[in-house]
Amino acid sequence: MISDYELIMRFIKGEQACFEKLIHRHKNKVFAYISLYIRDQALAEDIFQDTFLKVIQSVKGGKYADNGKFISWVMRIAHNLIIDHFRRIKQMNTISNDNYESDLFNSKAFAEDNVEDNMIKRQIQKDIRNMISHLPDDQREVVILRHYAGLSFKEIADITDVSINTALGRMRYALINMRRIMVEKNISLTLN
Amino acid sequence: MKPMGIISTQFITLKDIKVNSIDLIEDAWGINAEFNDVIDLLRQVNPVPERCLTTSLIKKIRKIV
Repeated sequence: MISDYELIMRFIKGEQACFEKLIHRHKNKVFAYISLYIRDQALAEDIFQDTFLKVIQSVKGGKYADNGKFISWVMRIAHNLIIDHFRRIKQMNTISNDNYESDLFNSKAFAEDNVEDNMIKRQIQKDIRNMISHLPDDQREVVILRHYAGLSFKEIADITDVSINTALGRMRYALINMRRIMVEKNISLTLN
Repeated sequence: MKPMGIISTQFITLKDIKVNSIDLIEDAWGINAEFNDVIDLLRQVNPVPERCLTTSLIKKIRKIV
């Protein structure tokens, strides 16, 4: 498989299709990260697109320096865009977006299961999302970056500007909190 | 004395130990082992972008580049 770095280099030299390959390679992780943070679907989609557009601008502007992992750099850009969004909201002093329900579960698996299974799955996924959204910001961030964006703890520590031990500690607290919520709300895996 | 190596455990080199998909720091803390129930639950959520979203992104990029 061609490395991310090689694809970027080829893109810089004019092979446009190489960037599209990068998008297809990483889109799920980037989207998962953003959509678990931003509950408004339309807004999450905008930030998803803005992330890759900003990546293009940076690469074209010669701002990308390969330090090992392209995806963690992309995640940092997404992360900054999310922070910008929340800053804007804070400035506008508005409360936003709890109306996000539809299209959350648009995986192929849904189409293949029966209606009852889908309903149960939907409920489980809704519970899990709620569980994640109830975590304190710093804990939620680590969970999403590790389990949905697939970053290592070293990368998470870099992005969030904390030590690896702090990131690990936050993850531990997050998982303890989620287990407590699981027990309180009686959430369990009833499928698979 | 019987020769060794016929039924004994084979030696492996560092290259044989595949750690690419493992975060060794996380592993050292035992997070996956301790919280496998919660982690299994987290795996149930798998948000993916709709195809039309990716297509429209690629169209935008083609216009810019």
